Amino acid sequence: MTMIFEPKADRPPPPSETGLVAWLRQNLFKDIPNTLMTILGMYLAFTVLSWVLDWALFNAVWDADTRRECLDAVGRSGACWPGVVEWLPNLIYGLYPKDAVWRINLGFLAFVLWMVPLWLPRVKSKVAIGLMAVILYPFLASYFFLGGEKGFVWTALIAAGVWGLVWVWATALCERATDLSVGAWLGRRIAGSSDEQIQKRVRQGAALLLYVICFGLVSAWSLEEVRTQFWGGLFLTLVISGIGITFSLPAGILLALGRRSHLPVISMLSTIFIELFRSVPLITILFMFNTMLPLFMPEGTDVNQLVRAIVAVCLFAAAYMAEVIRGGLQAIPKGQYEAAASLGLGYWQTTTQVVMPQALKIMIPTIVGNFIGLFKDTTLVSIIGLFDLMNMARAVGEDTDWLGLFIEPFFFVSLIYFVFCYAMSSYSIGLEAKLSKGRDR
Amino acid sequence: MSGSIPRRKVIEILKLNKWFGQFHVLKDVDLTVREREIFVICGPSGSGKSTLIRCINQLEHHQQGDILVDGIEVEKGGRNQEVVRKTTGMVFQQFNLFPHLTVLDNCTLTPTLGLGMPRNDAEDLAMLHLKRVGIDDQAMKYPLQLSGGQQQRVAIARSLCTQPKIMLFDEPTSALDPEMIKEVLDVMVELAQDGMTMICVTHEMGFARQVADKVLFMDQGEIVESGPPGDFFANPRYDRTQQFLAHIL
Repeated sequence: MTMIFEPKADRPPPPSETGLVAWLRQNLFKDIPNTLMTILGMYLAFTVLSWVLDWALFNAVWDADTRRECLDAVGRSGACWPGVVEWLPNLIYGLYPKDAVWRINLGFLAFVLWMVPLWLPRVKSKVAIGLMAVILYPFLASYFFLGGEKGFVWTALIAAGVWGLVWVWATALCERATDLSVGAWLGRRIAGSSDEQIQKRVRQGAALLLYVICFGLVSAWSLEEVRTQFWGGLFLTLVISGIGITFSLPAGILLALGRRSHLPVISMLSTIFIELFRSVPLITILFMFNTMLPLFMPEGTDVNQLVRAIVAVCLFAAAYMAEVIRGGLQAIPKGQYEAAASLGLGYWQTTTQVVMPQALKIMIPTIVGNFIGLFKDTTLVSIIGLFDLMNMARAVGEDTDWLGLFIEPFFFVSLIYFVFCYAMSSYSIGLEAKLSKGRDR
Repeated sequence: MSGSIPRRKVIEILKLNKWFGQFHVLKDVDLTVREREIFVICGPSGSGKSTLIRCINQLEHHQQGDILVDGIEVEKGGRNQEVVRKTTGMVFQQFNLFPHLTVLDNCTLTPTLGLGMPRNDAEDLAMLHLKRVGIDDQAMKYPLQLSGGQQQRVAIARSLCTQPKIMLFDEPTSALDPEMIKEVLDVMVELAQDGMTMICVTHEMGFARQVADKVLFMDQGEIVESGPPGDFFANPRYDRTQQFLAHIL
């Protein structure tokens, strides 16, 4: 006769050692070597930390007019912060005119405003918002930072920047409030129709009207020119690395696709570009662009020094990014390409919908690692005489009042770099967790 | 069926030859599949059976011979491959679902992008086919959250969403646990009974007996013999076929 199989009922796992004491014993004081290591580690941590805190806080001088006064008060046992405080505006804004600094602040505020909708729930067009930020924001920002005369084309581009910011917020608010796109909402309100064609017309009309208004406003608006020689400090660092980061990702994607292309010419050109820029140190590329580029340009054209540095950084970063992306592309199994092909998807459809999303997701840690590297590498532009954050910190110790004050500004600048890099790193970890949620077993 | 008008030819292959480098994988293969016919191809590994069906939808390009899919001649070098691929559906041994898309999005990708269908219609179509393979309640999940059998059923639904004239199956149950093989085979049987034209590379001889119009045995790049399942299993003519059947039955 057949027996009936009855699975046993589930039981809770046995109670393990829990609580703080048990945890300490398990992890810190398990046996004699473990205990010794714990004590040694704590001793080292305590020594370093107490030394740093003594120097930076407890023995530090906060009120002085020259480095001499600091040295007379505490010698070298404490930090001399007044020098850094006095130079703080220069460390952040460079030699940008004091009465125009609001333009920098407003420019970065506009960027933050542009990005906020990306974090708002229920906003659907996030890809479009991100794309608009990458394409249109630079026009707006460059006018804020640079100012000066603007011709018709330049006015039109700046107006596009203003238009983008307003449109992004209109989209975000509309989608948050009504769950409809701007076109659909306007279509219903104005034309009273849910027909897709009419909605599209209404949306285009509204966008055009808004653009005309923006164009009018921008034409009436003028800012004094601040030439790039006066740019510096953290502001300059952010400008160079921001442009480098925004450029390197799309350019890297195209180069990586180019290198894997079946068309020999495209593949060869991409490979040559990547290998050329990867096998030369950034510092050399900066020098080359700074000194040799003007020789190749036609007589009379003067390319701004900052632009030369930015172009060099962008090309260098793109070559590195290309190899990162290529690594991601190689991790995608052949079956994914075959499945897409068998469904009748073409090259670009397969790339944008199937391959690239997976490749980019795999490579997030490396991509952000590259961004962090690029952010720090911008310190090298000091070598061609640009006063970025790092070079500005060096300048503090050359001020006659603060002669020889190097450690404090470098310490401060290191903290700034740390804050930015750690923020990027944390963001990438958060992004990874968010993207992998629910998708893995 | 004698006396009735012959049904339309969906696949017609004449003197097909294919090489991988120096290796001659397919040798003078001829094959005709008519509408609503179910073909099962079996044979040892390396016999060219996968390559044959991969040539039909141009995942591999052939060097000699002609392939006609639904009357369209497949050009050598894959110049009209996208047209051909849209009339054929393919199911793989390893499922090859897109892990970053939900089950539903896996199914709507081609209808919306490749065929330009509005999103709502594509979703209706996808849900219809997901229901057909019995997996509509998992539509919002991601592929890796499903079992192998469920994933393979999603893969079948995804293929059906392109509304193919013929379905090609490349060892669809070989990567599955024994208990999951049945759920996939059941879906395939149903599909066959609904009148889909199918070519299946598989060693599931029970399936072949149940629905196949013709069983083909391939070895060394040739179709050794073929016939209706009754004949084929009862009286194989060649020693090689007998040997092979002795191993798998």
